[in-house]
Amino acid sequence: MKRNLTTAIETWVAGGLKVVGQLSIISLPEGGYELSHAEDAGKPGLDTFHSASRARTISFFDDAGEYRPLKTAPNLQHGWRLILKNAEELRAALDHFYPAMTALWHSYLNDTLAPVPLRDTLNRQTGMYAATKRLQDEEGQELVGRACAASSCTKRILWNFGPDQPLTMLKADKLPPSRRTDPAPPVEMPLLCHEACNILVAACREVVKKRERAAAPPPDAQSQHQAH
Amino acid sequence: MPFKPDSALIIVGHGSTVNPDSSAPTLDHAEAIIQSGAFGEVHCAFWKEEPSLRQVLHMVDSDDVYIVPNFISEGYFTRTVIPRELELDGPVTQKNGRLLKYCEPVGNHERMGELLLKRAAEVAPGVDPADCSLLIVGHGTNLNDNSAFAAKREVDRIRELGIYGEVFNTYMEEAPLISEWNAYTTKPHVVVVPFFIADGLHSYQDIPVLLGIEQETGAAASQREIFRQNPYFLRERTLYYASAIGTEPAFAELILAQTALFDAQTSTHNASA
Repeated sequence: MKRNLTTAIETWVAGGLKVVGQLSIISLPEGGYELSHAEDAGKPGLDTFHSASRARTISFFDDAGEYRPLKTAPNLQHGWRLILKNAEELRAALDHFYPAMTALWHSYLNDTLAPVPLRDTLNRQTGMYAATKRLQDEEGQELVGRACAASSCTKRILWNFGPDQPLTMLKADKLPPSRRTDPAPPVEMPLLCHEACNILVAACREVVKKRERAAAPPPDAQSQHQAH
Repeated sequence: MPFKPDSALIIVGHGSTVNPDSSAPTLDHAEAIIQSGAFGEVHCAFWKEEPSLRQVLHMVDSDDVYIVPNFISEGYFTRTVIPRELELDGPVTQKNGRLLKYCEPVGNHERMGELLLKRAAEVAPGVDPADCSLLIVGHGTNLNDNSAFAAKREVDRIRELGIYGEVFNTYMEEAPLISEWNAYTTKPHVVVVPFFIADGLHSYQDIPVLLGIEQETGAAASQREIFRQNPYFLRERTLYYASAIGTEPAFAELILAQTALFDAQTSTHNASA
């Protein structure tokens, strides 16, 4: 039988799931669901919307109106609540707020989410990102510790640096959740990162390019240097 | 229109970490297709945004999956990046009990010329096309040579129809330059349609400066109160500047048409095998 993620989400919420990232989920007594920023849950005076597609608009900008290119950054906009008719709309809204996160959690629970080491991701790159193959271990670990810190991204990282190299610069709140033995759904669904995102790959490129530029100044700079 | 309640559609866009409008047309077309009910499920995936190409297959419930690149032409992304990231073997890939069907990019569809003409007519209502120079502006760098090729193909088709007084390909970074539009056009009215998927950095922020209708690169489209106020009277012409062709709502039809074309080509291939 084909998988049905909508039914799975419905079961998770019925079983007690209340928090996804910075979102609060409430099952309404009359049916349907209410989503809001977890820090706004129960507050009066929130702007109320009734469409899953509204989640898209809210998710794109932070409180200051700045674009949020990384949806798992801890800067979800405040001041709204979203009333959704059914689990199908809830799934769609969650995919706007936290794209793919319910799906990855489902795959994780079913042991079908294979983490990809950062080295494998970088070694696969072509074009402008092929330079990331030259990332050195130390600078790479330092970058991950900085760029993937909880203050930048709320996902928990499942991947290693290399096939046999753990990540060394991350705090415990960024490491994989412990395997659940309790069959009941958790109250909070972890956001999972099974492979480095393009934002990190781009940052790896910058680190490599910066080091290589410093080691070998462009010909103009060399000639100017010699002239002086 | 296809009706595939047991199949999934993945629309792949480029996206941007800088411009919030880059993914908007892809998300809009997905929303329109969801509303149409043509596919049992519809998902988007992006190179620079989420969900990523490495995440999106986890989102799919169905075993029968169509993948349509929402790109203006064949090129590096459609031939190298998307197949690599989705681990595709070719047009048809069997993976983990699923059939992944990789369709042609939306910009390859033969109705592209029709949509360019529609957009050009809409942006300059009441203007006689015979008195009008139509410019299709693309990026035009060596890296993106296929989009330049696709733009030339569309201009050749439109020119053959003889509707517009004159039709030109122009580019941001190679001749004929869009910044010199008044040098090679001869008609009193000039209509410019960006050959881009989204009103992102190039079509919304860079090209208006090159045309001379903006003095400096402004904010993103979604962060401004007014989109555009055509026409512009400058360089002794009347200039009309359209939104990127990829924002045309009929693109959703072209995405669906690419899935139908995939089926038609596959059945022809199977019949002749």
